Amino acid sequence: MPPVIDYKKCKACGTCDRHCPGDVILQEKKKKPIVLYPWECWHCGSCRQDCPKGAIRIVFPPRMINI
Amino acid sequence: MKRPQIHKINTDVLIIGGGLAGLNAAIGAAEEGAKVLVMDKGGIARSGSIGGGVDHFLAYLNEGESWDTKEGYLKYCADTAKGAVDLEIQEAVFCDELGRALERMERIGVSLYNKEGIYYRTKSMGQPGPYWINFNGKRLKPCLAKEVLRLGVNALEKTVTTRILTRNGAICGAAGFNIRSGDFYAIQAKAIVGTTGDTVRLFESPTRNPFNTWHCPYNTGDFQAMAFNVGADLTNMEYVRMTLVPKGFAAPGFNAFFSLGCTLVNGHGEPYMERYHKLANRAQRSMLVWGTLNEIREGRGPIFIDTRHLDSKTRNHLFTTLGYDKDTLPDFLKAKKEYELEEGLIEIMISEGMQGAPAEVCGSGIRIDRECASSIPGLYAAGDSADQHHCVHSCTTGGYLAGKKAASYASKIKRMDVDSKEVRQEMKRVFAPLQRSKGLTSTEFEDVIRKIMTDNLVPAKNEGGLKLALHKLKNIVPYAEQLVAQNFHELMRVHEAQSLLKVGMICCVASLARKESRFAPYHFRSDYPERNDQDFCGLVLVRKGKSGEIVTGFHRLEYRV
Repeated sequence: MPPVIDYKKCKACGTCDRHCPGDVILQEKKKKPIVLYPWECWHCGSCRQDCPKGAIRIVFPPRMINI
Repeated sequence: MKRPQIHKINTDVLIIGGGLAGLNAAIGAAEEGAKVLVMDKGGIARSGSIGGGVDHFLAYLNEGESWDTKEGYLKYCADTAKGAVDLEIQEAVFCDELGRALERMERIGVSLYNKEGIYYRTKSMGQPGPYWINFNGKRLKPCLAKEVLRLGVNALEKTVTTRILTRNGAICGAAGFNIRSGDFYAIQAKAIVGTTGDTVRLFESPTRNPFNTWHCPYNTGDFQAMAFNVGADLTNMEYVRMTLVPKGFAAPGFNAFFSLGCTLVNGHGEPYMERYHKLANRAQRSMLVWGTLNEIREGRGPIFIDTRHLDSKTRNHLFTTLGYDKDTLPDFLKAKKEYELEEGLIEIMISEGMQGAPAEVCGSGIRIDRECASSIPGLYAAGDSADQHHCVHSCTTGGYLAGKKAASYASKIKRMDVDSKEVRQEMKRVFAPLQRSKGLTSTEFEDVIRKIMTDNLVPAKNEGGLKLALHKLKNIVPYAEQLVAQNFHELMRVHEAQSLLKVGMICCVASLARKESRFAPYHFRSDYPERNDQDFCGLVLVRKGKSGEIVTGFHRLEYRV
């Protein structure tokens, strides 16, 4: 389910959390962000576009690409 | 969960919703010297329907052709949006502000010119000439957010507005809460500009995921519901907007396909739009949806967009511009492999419905005048939640004007205190779902709304179905008052669900009042299948009656162009 965070690249800067329009991503203090509500993502791609480390990719579920 | 703090903030102009219209309103108000605060459920850098990017801006440029003038544009408005577009407001808002808007885009660093230094102009949706300027708008929202902050505007992000506060019938502020800390805000404001967009999660998605939507799914009609509650007039609320989207992904991009000359074909491999409109694939959006619905209904699906005849240069441009409009759409098409197939046929579906604009040049929502003011003193509207704004060009021009006029209004009046008793009551109401142990979740509740709305309003309506839908929506009101939330994120969704219910009811009442069909399938009454200009060339007005009921009126529109 989109987005998927590569934790090896992620530096926990918090941009994806701040910019997500749907509050789908949560970063708690000093921890790395988690995609808490993947079902509520509308695939705007803001997190991926704005991630300074290129740590986010978008993975579409079968119910989108296989129907 | 820690105990939420209460904050009181004073401002001249409060902007509810920091999308494209909201940030342009913030610029307009700040440039007038007002103290400005923007409240947004998300972050202002990427919120709203074009948060991730956009690729089109509608404009006439006076480059010589008669269509490319103000008069030509107003004629196009009348031709494609008769009965919904108010030409006086188009002229006073869009036409008067267009020049400044084009300049502002360049100034904030988002050029409408392409790499060769020209406007790449295309035509679709019933246009007499290429009104669309194709541009790279992927950084539009971040650039606007930067400009807004440079001008000294304050932003309260991840903060939901739940109520507009009035005193003696005029605006005095608003209340809301932060979805992370739970902190509660009582804002004292002389004027408010509402820019929360259209109402998106109101109808079932063909993919069964209510967040897989064409426009931003976090647009839940919050301002429409709040403005109605304080007595503002709304119009064009009967229209259920839909479009054509790639199968499986309700992404925008439609406009790019047709403006570059792509063709709709049915399951028999036949182009079909010629049978429905003389402009075929360049007809207005509602007509393309109507034709496609009919092909499916008569058993000629599946439906495809045929891109085979495009030369490689145009295909490359198409692929690039699709990514400007929806960042993840090229990835989706690659994952599906459709775009790369030699056949070049992209399967499509009809999107979910939404409360939104009946045509490309006007909107649906709060009734505005020539200054973007609503019927409530101090309350302004812009963008997709205003009845005469829609799309990027309108949000940019109308947002700015609404901000400017709200600031001018604020400069002339004294600040009024908000009623502390009303604020306390609102705080109690807002947080009540967190205290309950029993009740429906917002997800369960929203599903019921969407099922009722979809069954009875899409793609056709009639009196019996509309009355039944209204009856069923009224029956679920008690559940709305007993929804539960376990955290502040869920609490936001609870308040969104309540907005959806209110807008759904308004949509049913407005649909009952328009006893004719217009912009089918956006408003197709099977019991009144014809357009009736004699009685219905104008706006169905909706407002709150004395005991809270939804009452309707009518405002006739004249067209002399």
